[in-house]
Amino acid sequence: MTHDEIAERLEAFIRTRYSISANDPGFTRDVDLFDLGYVDSIGLVELLTFINASFEVEIKDDDLLSDEFSNIHGMAKIVCRQGEW
Amino acid sequence: MSTPRIIGELDASFAWNGTSIYRAGELAAGTPIPFNLRGAITSYVGSNTGEWRVLRDPLGLNKLFWGESCGTVHLSARPHRLVAEGFGIDDIRSVPRGCVLDHRLGESGARKASILPPQWQVAVSSIDAAPIVEIGAEIRSSLERYLAAIAAAHPTARAFVCCSGGLDSSGIVALVTRHFTDVVAVSFDLSRPGATVSQDRRMAERLCNDLSLPLLDVTVSPEHLLEHLDTVLVEGIDWRDFNVHAGLVNAVLAEAIADAHASQTIIFTGDLANEFLADYHEESYLGESYYQLPRLPLDELRAALVQGLDTSNREVGVFGAWGLPVVQPYAVAIDSYLRLPSSFFGLRDAKQQLCRSIFGELVPSFIYDRPKVRAQIGDADAGGGVLAACIDHGINQDWLRERFARLHRARDPRELNRFMRAGRYRSAVPTAEEVTL
Repeated sequence: MTHDEIAERLEAFIRTRYSISANDPGFTRDVDLFDLGYVDSIGLVELLTFINASFEVEIKDDDLLSDEFSNIHGMAKIVCRQGEW
Repeated sequence: MSTPRIIGELDASFAWNGTSIYRAGELAAGTPIPFNLRGAITSYVGSNTGEWRVLRDPLGLNKLFWGESCGTVHLSARPHRLVAEGFGIDDIRSVPRGCVLDHRLGESGARKASILPPQWQVAVSSIDAAPIVEIGAEIRSSLERYLAAIAAAHPTARAFVCCSGGLDSSGIVALVTRHFTDVVAVSFDLSRPGATVSQDRRMAERLCNDLSLPLLDVTVSPEHLLEHLDTVLVEGIDWRDFNVHAGLVNAVLAEAIADAHASQTIIFTGDLANEFLADYHEESYLGESYYQLPRLPLDELRAALVQGLDTSNREVGVFGAWGLPVVQPYAVAIDSYLRLPSSFFGLRDAKQQLCRSIFGELVPSFIYDRPKVRAQIGDADAGGGVLAACIDHGINQDWLRERFARLHRARDPRELNRFMRAGRYRSAVPTAEEVTL
């Protein structure tokens, strides 16, 4: 699976799960999901479960709390790295 | 690697090897790695030869944070103590739960091991289930042996047992009386205009009457309760409302217990059983939802709640602020709880069924028959509890987050996004050179 394919699946999950409008101009794959309130602590638990189930990757604590894991592109990079896609 | 510097006191330890409570010397560097350790502990054991061991319990009940400055690791049970030493919140890491670090003579780095059982990190579906009666008996056995071990280590202690009148705490009240001679139950209530005595209080009174136990009534006003907010935020190391509200209850209980002036005191609580059974629900107040849970299958939810204990310090931390050591007895029974299948703990009466198999007739029938009530909510008849008191005073989730950030000198509350996410603190092992044992 490529980085873009992973990012696409992550974006689709986040948009659907957290009811983000397709017309939301502030929502991109580079935006900080936590600082801007798109995903909260509870939502992140759901997202981690989705990542684990979809990509068979367990996100390590170091990555979870990293700046990289704050946006969709960064999450996709971490999944690629950990999943050796 | 230089000897770590400890800032402030570590929390009281009640770590158990299945037979007795660990003594410090049994956990020194070079002794066998305690893979079967259960209960709560953060430990630093040094020697005059320069050897040392740092250890944290596998559930993460006791907290341990660190920062590094000029080649020295500074360890503390609370991040605010590190902040007071000049560390920024971004510079602070948690020692991972279940981490054991050994520094031995003649070695430059520290050896690392983990006593976190791998089966605790997966959802229940991959773990062998067992009959409920068998699991209940196992839990009872673990609780009895653990309490006996604590009583043996602290034979003159006065035991205060936090009693909400619910099943989990009532079971602990009943068991503690079997092992300690000086036992006092403690009950919380909030005095609000027009509110009657809470159902929690009435149940606690009835239970104590049944068991011939003294009851310490702690009834406070919302204003008194909220005086403890800063203490709860820094000692509880969390800004999330569900933990802060529970921590506020514990703060006023701790204050009252400390005023009782017992020479040696141990607090017992019925905490953790709800996490082990995924027995939490959202609450509502004035049309708003609070204490929302991840929308996950029950086995996944339970795994998340158990992992989230790593960032819950509402018991150990808050009672610790008054110098009171806390025991959460259910902690030692986690392996048995994890054998319960989600098909069981999804049942409406799962808690009652399991508690009957654990406690039998030790707990009176009126406790089994009582509907579950969350301690910080109060009851349906008397109106809102701590949740309502906070919201009515404008203390919502955003307020708590901003206050936590300010108390930890964070320039922006968004810095907290990198301190804790999804019920995990930012964690790392405090050593540059690692050799896995």
